[in-house]
Formats: sequence, C-alpha cells, structure tokens
Amino acid sequence: MILLGAAVLLVGRWLTPHTFHGAILQSPLPAQDFSLMSHVGQRVALSDLRGKIVLLYFGYTICPDVCPTTLAELAQARKLLGRDADQVQVLMITVDPERDTIPVLADYVVHFSSTFLGLRGTPDETAQVATYYGIYYEKHDSDSALGYLVDHTATVMVIDRNGYLRLVFPFGTPAEDMASDLQYLLRK
Amino acid sequence: MRLTVFCVLMGVLVLAACATATPTPTLAPAPKIAVEGMWGRPSPKIAQAGAFYMVIRNTGAAADKLTAARSSACTTVELHESYQMSNGTMGMRPVTGGTIEIPANGQVELKVGGLHIMCIDKKVEFNNGVKLPLTLVFAKSGEINVQVEIREQGM
Ligand SMILES: [Cu+2]
Repeated sequence: MILLGAAVLLVGRWLTPHTFHGAILQSPLPAQDFSLMSHVGQRVALSDLRGKIVLLYFGYTICPDVCPTTLAELAQARKLLGRDADQVQVLMITVDPERDTIPVLADYVVHFSSTFLGLRGTPDETAQVATYYGIYYEKHDSDSALGYLVDHTATVMVIDRNGYLRLVFPFGTPAEDMASDLQYLLRK
Repeated sequence: MRLTVFCVLMGVLVLAACATATPTPTLAPAPKIAVEGMWGRPSPKIAQAGAFYMVIRNTGAAADKLTAARSSACTTVELHESYQMSNGTMGMRPVTGGTIEIPANGQVELKVGGLHIMCIDKKVEFNNGVKLPLTLVFAKSGEINVQVEIREQGM
C-alpha cells in the first residue's frame, strides 16, 4: 500500500511538468567563455566546468546585505541537493577588483562554502565578462565610512551542464526554489 | 439676542474644554519603543562590514526617530538601506536624512534587501551563536540597549 502510494507520487511528479522558479532564458549559443584568476591562485575558465551546472554571481565583499544573503542561499540550495551538490559549481566574480584582492576573496567565499570559487579579473577583464552576461555595475561615492559602494545586478545566472545559459534567479529567490530548478536541470 | 446668548454659552463651553485640556507633561503623546528579533548573518572578519536586522515597534501616540547606533563590536555604525532598481540592479546607501522615522502606533522592519544597521570595520568574528551589544539612539526615547544574535537565518 505504502509502496503503491510512493509509486503514484513518483509517477505524479514525473507527469507534472516542472514549473521553473527562475526566469527562463533560451539562448541559441553556448554561454560566452571567460577565464579569470580564482581565489585558489589558478585561472579558471567557464569551459573547464563543462559537465557541471554553473551558478554565476557578480558581487563584492564590502556588500554586507545583498551579497552574503545570496551566497548563503546558494550554499543552502547546494545542501538541499544532497549528493548532487557536486554537480553544481558556484562562481562569484567580484565587481570590486580594486579592494577584493585574492586573499580577501579567498576568506570571503570559503566562509559560505569551501566549494565556492571566487574570481577576480583586472578591471578590463571584469568589465568584459560583465558585458557578456548583461551585468551592470557602477561605483558610486557615498558618505559611508565604507568609502565607495558598487551598485550591481544582483541576479544569479544558471549555466547548464552543456554550457548554455538557462535560468536567471532574481535576488531573494529562496534556496528551496533554486534547488528545485537545479534538480530538474540535473535530471534532464 | 438668542444668537448672542448662544455665542456666550459657546464661549464658556470652549473655555471649559480648554481648561480641561491644559497640557500637562504626562499627558503629552509620547512614543513607546520596543525592539525585537535582532539578528545578523555570520561573516568572516575579512568582510569589512556586517548588517543587523530587527523590528522596531512604536506603540506610543507620537512618532520617534532612530538617529544613530553604536556597538563595541564595530568601529563605526551607520543606518543604511539597500535599494533595487527595475533592472535587477541593487545598491546600498546611508539612509537619506541620516535617520529612520518610526511612526506612531506603527513599526519599521529592518530586513534583508531593505533598511539595515551597518556595522563597519568589525572588531570581532561574526560567528554563529555570538551575541553582540548594540545601542540604538532615538530622538525622543533616548538610548535603548539590545543584543544582536548572529545566526544563519532570520525568524
Ligand atoms: Cu549597508
């Protein structure tokens, strides 16, 4: 009886089409490749990660509200995937390469998950990669003791295992919703 | 004639009303502030700043203003807000005017992606479970001391 119930549930889940929580992108071309210095001291290219789902986030370490919230949710989403977490790589590209040196970035991203990779380009490289992904960022002066602050697109890009941009998670997408979408992409 | 009598009567009534409503210090409307649900996210010390979140309730009949905050865990404490632009871009800035208005019989929620208290140049690690002292300074209610719990998620 229990088995039958479980079977019905499974089949039900199978038959119900998946409703994505993230915004769907249908790009005819693979996501633009790039290569940036990582916090572990080696360059990492997007194409090195083919076969895994890549979650791409642009942020900076002095951003204490939006960025840590997103990174904590991404860490939680990976945890919810259980064993499949290995199939998902989170990349954070700093939009503040001046202040986010490699050691700063290393301490910062590892705090959220030892599996996350922090990437830092030169200002030109950073601008180039941001352009590929339609990411806006701009420094603005502030009265804050933090000095300048950086406005930036706060979405998370999802690149599938074949290297195609598939989804965008807006700021505030709960970990459970991201995990559900990732699970679906991994099963396909 | 009748009208005059009426006016005199009215005048007496108004005077009487004024007499009973003579303001005494205890009757002046005052804010009554309570602060709840203080939390902040764990972060490594290398992260220069950390945000504190909470709900500030005012059950009094007068508005108040949060004008400043300080903590022995931070070199500087600022009142900030995050803002979102239509294209998914987010930013952060010190609050306009430098204060946060707490309306009479109302509440203000300091939360992720919105208003927050910014602890700058952290003096301690924000480890899970740690409680940090924070003094909130209100224009009328004076100083209120609270503790901010560092934990993964808000309530
Ligand atoms: Cu802030």
